[in-house]
Order: sequence, then structure tokens, then C-alpha cells
Amino acid sequence: MDVPARHRPLVLLVAVILAQLLLLAFQIKRGQDVRLIRVWAAAVLTPPQHAGIFVISKIEGAWSGYIDLWHAQRYNQQLADEVGKLRLKNQQLEGQAAEAGRLAKLLGFRQANLNVPMVAAEVIGASADSNSETIFINRGEHDGLRRNMAVITPDGVVGKIFEVFSHTAQVLLITDKESGVGALLANTRTHGVVNGTGDPLLRMDYVTTGEKLFVGEEILTSGEDRIFPKDLPVGTVASAKPGYPFQTIRAKPAAHLDRLEEVLVLLTEESLNPRQTEAPAASATPEKTSSNSKPRGNAAKAPIASRAPKNAAAPASHAKTPPPPAKKNPAVVKPTGTNPPGAPR
Amino acid sequence: MTIQMDFEDQHIEVHEFRGGAVAIACVLALVLQAFLNKFSAHFQLLELPLLVVIYFGLSRRNPISGLFLGTAVGLLQDGISHTPIGLYGIAKGVIGYIASSVGARLDTEHPISRFILVFLFFHIHQVILAVTIHLLLARPEPFFSTQLLIASLINSAVAVFLFAGLDQLRKQ
Repeated sequence: MDVPARHRPLVLLVAVILAQLLLLAFQIKRGQDVRLIRVWAAAVLTPPQHAGIFVISKIEGAWSGYIDLWHAQRYNQQLADEVGKLRLKNQQLEGQAAEAGRLAKLLGFRQANLNVPMVAAEVIGASADSNSETIFINRGEHDGLRRNMAVITPDGVVGKIFEVFSHTAQVLLITDKESGVGALLANTRTHGVVNGTGDPLLRMDYVTTGEKLFVGEEILTSGEDRIFPKDLPVGTVASAKPGYPFQTIRAKPAAHLDRLEEVLVLLTEESLNPRQTEAPAASATPEKTSSNSKPRGNAAKAPIASRAPKNAAAPASHAKTPPPPAKKNPAVVKPTGTNPPGAPR
Repeated sequence: MTIQMDFEDQHIEVHEFRGGAVAIACVLALVLQAFLNKFSAHFQLLELPLLVVIYFGLSRRNPISGLFLGTAVGLLQDGISHTPIGLYGIAKGVIGYIASSVGARLDTEHPISRFILVFLFFHIHQVILAVTIHLLLARPEPFFSTQLLIASLINSAVAVFLFAGLDQLRKQ
């Protein structure tokens, strides 16, 4: 190193002092009996080491973080794909489970009524007309279906065969305006007619104002229409208003008409055992129809038509004895499904 | 003998000494320092090696030779003392360097100037020692005290006479 002559003594001074400082550092010991030169060396060397370790660890951390992030992104994508597949599979399984449940219910109903000829059918379509409540099923003339045959589910009445084709058939639902079912109140055995209104709720006509009934009271088929066997669930009372001479009763259909997928078509008018459908395997002997004739409902409920005028004329169906023949009952439904002439709608 | 030489565009006098005079004077100062301290604690106020370094630094007026002479004397003093080797070496090396540098610029032949210079150099020496001891040994050491003041005055007074005696060692 070329040092100017003018600065040479100063450089030499510094060098001599440094040399002696090092000499001192070799001799002097600090706490823990460590030589000062070691303390200085550590003081000089450890900060760069710390800095180096810090920088390297940061770089490693950033790199591993980037790699982890990259892996996480891929893993996340895989998981998202898997979740999508599982959701789809879950939906399929749920659908299959629901279908199995429905089919089990149908099977139970069928086993409870082995002596009754019926055909299971799948709903394949609905009406394209918003004013009519109809569905299409995948059974037709080849399967023995004829017009006016009853269509039911284990929950209750669905409707009747309206048109029959070779392999399909059109079903008129009980909610259709043109539909009518001979019915009776389960508790009082009061007869009437359940008509469709085009709405989700039904209307039960020809029940006099003096008749006591309850919200939730069950409405069954009376069998007087020659279409539906007796004592099939039609619906439950949703509301009742007194009127003259008949009450205005709205009913909720027993069958889930808004989500029909499988139905049963009765090939006969024989009575069924609809109450046996819940536990088909446990009951080998079908319950008799007469047992269904007993009054059902919640006795604790207050009658909603108890304030009806007493002078209202009660139809023949008001009697608690077995229903009279269809000819004597004004609420008899024509086999075609249309309402009787003069019936209030 | 006095040699005229150019030093930073100035004509300065550089004194030369008889053969071995510098070495003998330095060794003698160290020995005497140790010898006198044995007899009385009052002699601890004297700093004969420092006075010798200052004198030869001022006389020879060469910073490098002043540095080495001061360092050598200081290391020897460390050697015969119970101090880490280099403590006095640094202090006396710096004093030798400064004295040589100052000697090239100031009149160092007059007794008063010698008294003042020795007084100043004594305290500079003490400051360097105190700083070194404080930093390296982590031990408190006073920069200035009454005792140091008295010692500096005594050393300055002794230096006036000692330097006059050492002047006799110069080559005529």
C-alpha cells in the first residue's frame, strides 16, 4: 500500500497503537475468565453472523412460504374439486335416499294391501297449462289403466286418471278446479264434497254450519264417488268459516302434490288399509277399514264452527250412521270428476 | 552536534546524541524509577521514563523515532510493572510521537517552555492511560486529581533540571 510520506508517521502511530491494543487484549480477561481478544472477536464477528443468519432465514422463510403457498393453492384447488364432486355425490345420495324412502313407503302400502290390485307409476311430467292441475305418469293402457281410476300415494289421494294413452296417462289432481272427491270428516263422519280450487288448498262443500269440526281434523274419502275407495286420507281442515246454510271449509291435501314422484294407481275400488303404510314389516295383518272409521283428531282443540246457526239445514250426510247411498246425498261426486249441478263453487 | 534539515519548509535543528546515550538514559530511567519507588512512596509521583521519552522526542524531532522510543520505554515499564503489557506502551508511544511533532515546531530549549510542555505531556499521558484502563480493563481511573496536579508540577520541575543534564549527552 502506497502511503504518502507526510502521513507515514501517523499511519505508523496507529499501527503501533493497534498492535499494542491487540497485545493488551490477549492479556486482559473479562468476566467468565474470557480474554478480551475473544470478546472483541465475538463482538466483531457475531453481528455479521447474526445478520447473515437473519438474511438467510428470511430468504428461506420467504422461499418456503412461497413454496407452501404454491402447494396450498394446488391443494386448495384439489380440495375445491373434491368438495364439488362430494357435493354432487351427496346430492345424488340424498336423492337416492329420498327415493328409497318413498319407494319403501310405496312398498309398505302395497304390502299392506296385497289383495288390492294396483300399479306403481312414476310421474314423468306435469301440465303445461297453469289453469289445470294435471300430471303425466309412465303407465298407460298397456298396464291396465283406465279412465277414472284412483291415483293415490301412501299419504293420501292424488287424483284420478283423466286420459289414458298406450304407455302413459294423464292424472287430474284433486286440486284442479274440475276435480271433486266424495269425502267425510273423520271425527263426525259428516259427508261432503272436496273440490279443487286451482290453489294449493282444497274446499270442502256441503257441511252444514251446525257441524262441529276442528282445524287439523282429518278428511277421508267416503267412497260415494265410485272412484276412490273409502277412508283414504284426502286432507286436513285448514280453516272453517260459518255460512248459510253450509260452512266454508278450506283443507290442506294429505298427499304432497307439489312434489309427487311416484304414485299408485288403484285398479279397483276395493277398500284399502292406508294406515298400514308406516310400518309394513311389523304388521302382517292389515288393519281393517272399520278401525279407520273411528273418530280421529285432537279433542282438546276448540271447535271453530260452534257458533254456527242452529237452524241451518243439515244434509243427509250429517248423520253419524254409515253414509247413505250416493243417490240420496247431494254431495255425491260424479264419476267424471265434475261437480254436481247446483253445487256452490 | 546540531543538524540543519528541512522539515515542512522550515529549518529546524535536530540534535544527535552520543552512541548509546539514548538507550542508556532510558534504561537508567526505568531502573531508577523502580529503585526509588522501593525506598519511598513519594517517589511514585515521579515519572522518569516519561520525562526521558519527552526529552528525546523533543530533541530528535522525528515522530517515528519518538513513537518507537516511547513505545519501547512504555513496554519495558509495563514489563517491570504489574500492568498488562502495552498499557504504558501505548501512552508513551503517543507521547513520544506528539513530543517529536511538537519539537519540530516549538522552541523546546527554554526552561519555561520545557516546564510547560512536560506539564501538558504529563496530563496527556495520564488521560491516555485513564482512557485505556477505563476501556480495556473496565476500571475507573481519574483523568485529573490534586495528586496528579502535584505530580505533574513536580515532574515538570524535575524535567527542567533533568533535561539540562541530558543536554550534556548531545554531540557537540
